[in-house]
Amino acid sequence: MDKLQRMIKGKIPGEATGIEVRKSICTICDPQTQCGLDCYVKDGRIIKVEGSRENPHSEGTLCAKGAAQRQWVYHEDRLRTPLRRVGPRGSGEFVPISWSEALDTVVENLNRLKAESGPESVIFYCGYPKQMRPFVQRLAFLFGSPNYCTESSTCFTAMAMAWRLVYGQMAGPDLAHTKLLLVWTGNPLWSGTPNARRLMDAKERGVKFVVVDPRKSPIAGLADLHLQLRPGTDGALALAMANVIIKEGLYDRGFVAEWTRGFDEYRIYVAGFSPERAEEITGVPVELIRQAAVMYATAKPAAMMPSSTPLVHHTNGVQNQRAAAMLVGLTGNFDVPGGNVPQALAWLEVPGGGFPARDHAFKMPRQWSEMPPRVGAERFPVWTEMIDQGQAMDLVRHITTGDPYPLRGFVGFGLNYRMFPGSPRFLEALDKLDFICLVDLFATDTTKYADIVLPACSSVERSEVRAYPQKHIIATEPVIAPLGQSRSDTDIIFGLAQKLGLPYQDYDGVSSNGGTPPPELGGFLPDGSPEFSAAFEAAMDWILEPSGMTMAELKKHPAGMPVPNPIPVSYRKYEKNGFPTPSGKMEFVSSITEKYTDREGIDGLPVYREPRLSPVSTPETAARYPLVLGTGTRLPMFIHSRMFRVPWTRSLRREAMVDLNPADAAKYGVVQGDLVELSTPEGSIRVRANVTHLAAPGVAHMYHDYPEADVNSLLSPDYLDPISGFPGFKASLCAVRKVSEAAPDFDLPQEVAR
Amino acid sequence: MSHAFYLDLDRCTGCFACAVACMDQNDLEVSRPEPTAWRQVFAIEATTGSEVRIRYVSLACMHCEDAPCLMACPSGAIARDAATRAVTVNADLCIGCHSCSIACPFGVPRFGKDGRMQKCDLCSARLEAGLEPACVRACPTRALKQGDPNLLTLEAEKKAAARLVAGT
Repeated sequence: MDKLQRMIKGKIPGEATGIEVRKSICTICDPQTQCGLDCYVKDGRIIKVEGSRENPHSEGTLCAKGAAQRQWVYHEDRLRTPLRRVGPRGSGEFVPISWSEALDTVVENLNRLKAESGPESVIFYCGYPKQMRPFVQRLAFLFGSPNYCTESSTCFTAMAMAWRLVYGQMAGPDLAHTKLLLVWTGNPLWSGTPNARRLMDAKERGVKFVVVDPRKSPIAGLADLHLQLRPGTDGALALAMANVIIKEGLYDRGFVAEWTRGFDEYRIYVAGFSPERAEEITGVPVELIRQAAVMYATAKPAAMMPSSTPLVHHTNGVQNQRAAAMLVGLTGNFDVPGGNVPQALAWLEVPGGGFPARDHAFKMPRQWSEMPPRVGAERFPVWTEMIDQGQAMDLVRHITTGDPYPLRGFVGFGLNYRMFPGSPRFLEALDKLDFICLVDLFATDTTKYADIVLPACSSVERSEVRAYPQKHIIATEPVIAPLGQSRSDTDIIFGLAQKLGLPYQDYDGVSSNGGTPPPELGGFLPDGSPEFSAAFEAAMDWILEPSGMTMAELKKHPAGMPVPNPIPVSYRKYEKNGFPTPSGKMEFVSSITEKYTDREGIDGLPVYREPRLSPVSTPETAARYPLVLGTGTRLPMFIHSRMFRVPWTRSLRREAMVDLNPADAAKYGVVQGDLVELSTPEGSIRVRANVTHLAAPGVAHMYHDYPEADVNSLLSPDYLDPISGFPGFKASLCAVRKVSEAAPDFDLPQEVAR
Repeated sequence: MSHAFYLDLDRCTGCFACAVACMDQNDLEVSRPEPTAWRQVFAIEATTGSEVRIRYVSLACMHCEDAPCLMACPSGAIARDAATRAVTVNADLCIGCHSCSIACPFGVPRFGKDGRMQKCDLCSARLEAGLEPACVRACPTRALKQGDPNLLTLEAEKKAAARLVAGT
């Protein structure tokens, strides 16, 4: 092999090989990661990716999912044209149609539904990624529908709600300056890899790690103390830690006296949670609870790392997260260096992005009060009071009952029905709708239910703006042309808005005051496909205006640039401004939740309740379903349903597996790789056993979204937290039994099958 | 030039980023049911008394100085790269006899659809261009490193020194 051949085979960029490195970002996962991406492009095709060194968040690294970008982008399941359904819903029988026909059909149906049943009869929904969210919300509101929902109905929001109920704002850990990190569930070593390096560095610096997690996860492996609690009992553990901290006088008396509401009621309540009682509830030994409480309270400063889901995926999730979050203020670790520090959210909710923007005004051209009540308004009043979205977990009920008004249409971007508990019930509800338009990258089991499917492109085929906590911002340009006739989500949104005749590009609301709005940018190509890149840039310019940044300037920096004049990090901001809570103080008793205490499961105090299904709350069910079931606990190679179809990631775990502790496996006569039936009162699936100490005895963990083994089909759609509406994914009940490989596919009665 | 991988076991989380970066760099075909990837990641669950510790290990060819595979290969398909000192395979010469598999103490050799041996070549072309191996570049915790063996172990020694001081 000569030198040039060797360089081409090694994919060495340069003139000699014709390989160019172009900058983008990865949006395969979206929980505030979005690593910088160097795409190696030859002849208009990506031949390799790696992390961008210039990105201060990911610093040149990628995770297993991002590294598989190329197979994901070029996957044969990518949608390449708009489609019209010709077979029954669910059959997957579609014919390709033109963009003109597709968009006109959507617009015709939306206008018909609006005329017949009002604009609120149409649901607008966003799954992954988050980039199009403000654009979809603006579309929904201008159309007149309050029913804008997202996948955040099951992710992140409940955690943020809990912190806001206590402090009026979310406050993340100041890892760089802390002496002790209390990791309250979650495993960012797999699910948020840009932070993995920083956590390892902290450990090497000598930062102590206290980890609360039902699993022996990689981050629990870093722990100086690992509190391996029974899933869903976090509240009892937090209250017992508070009990120790108060009893031993380790709390910040000055802060508590001056800056908190409801401490006396809280003190009396936590007095009932001795470490001995908490051991009975949580399974964590008394000594460990004491030790953790004393370590956390005396480290000064100590930071708490919350997580987007594991602590709030419980029927008592918000209350558990509130109880944990309160430890921060109690110990004087709120808004101090090395503690938990609230920072303003930048574009797309990035904490500490460091610049002001007009995204709120952009996404909310109408106020809630100007529209009918949104999905979940009656059922989840706390959510509705705090969150600018509908609660999608009420969709099944609302669609099925038509109460308080009929829902008839659905426009969904990246909808995955398997993220809904009781997923088959969600499909049944979807099927009741009059008209469904789904926008997606791939032909999925969910798009089979659409009447019209529109092909979206991936992040490397479009432009977008992303901010990072290191006060860095990037406006990307397409690295390759969109595959087939696919378009960016924003092209599709602007195109729909224009065809619907909405004043979408009138950001200053000139037309509503009788003025002449600016001329609309963008339009439709000869093949009818929407091309609104100029409109997207103008929208971003309007949104970014308060920051002083422009798209023209950003585009001069293909790998991104530091935010100019970033909002500096400051501490003890409450001393000047108070807390952004109704009382202006940190609230041990919430002025928001105490308004709804007539509802089951809502209290002013962070009251501990058992998960609705647990060995304690439902012993009769537990007799038949003796294992605690957690669904959706992250694996490093998958993110929801997104990476199953990609051979590289799928090769790392080829089959759907349930994690079982070796003790439980022995009890059920199961060895590694055995086929088992995983069942709940709602149904059963068949999966392979993964026998591992990751799972504690008595707990089964099963990754979600597998088409062939959908674990969320085993939950009830009503297994929800009454405060947030979040599903109790991380603590229900199940049974496991070994299935003979030779067993027929149909179910025999248990005694025969054995 | 040097030719060592180094894995900081305390920092490896079993995230598989290295394994997939290797697949992407080398266009690996992994759809067959058996493991054909050049870099593998293992979770090792070690029990000591009542304590269980789960540790993660990423492994690929060690590019041994005195490489048993190279000596075992009857067809001269395995050779040492002059520039990077990586142990490399010339598929055209491989006869698919699996002698290298028997000789290799680390279980590294893989066999593709063509029955010929394939494995990590330390991203030799990248090294020559001043780039690090794809797996090293991807590693989110910087557990995986490549470089001069003496410098890599010196880094490890420095950390050990810091631990000694921390313990006093």
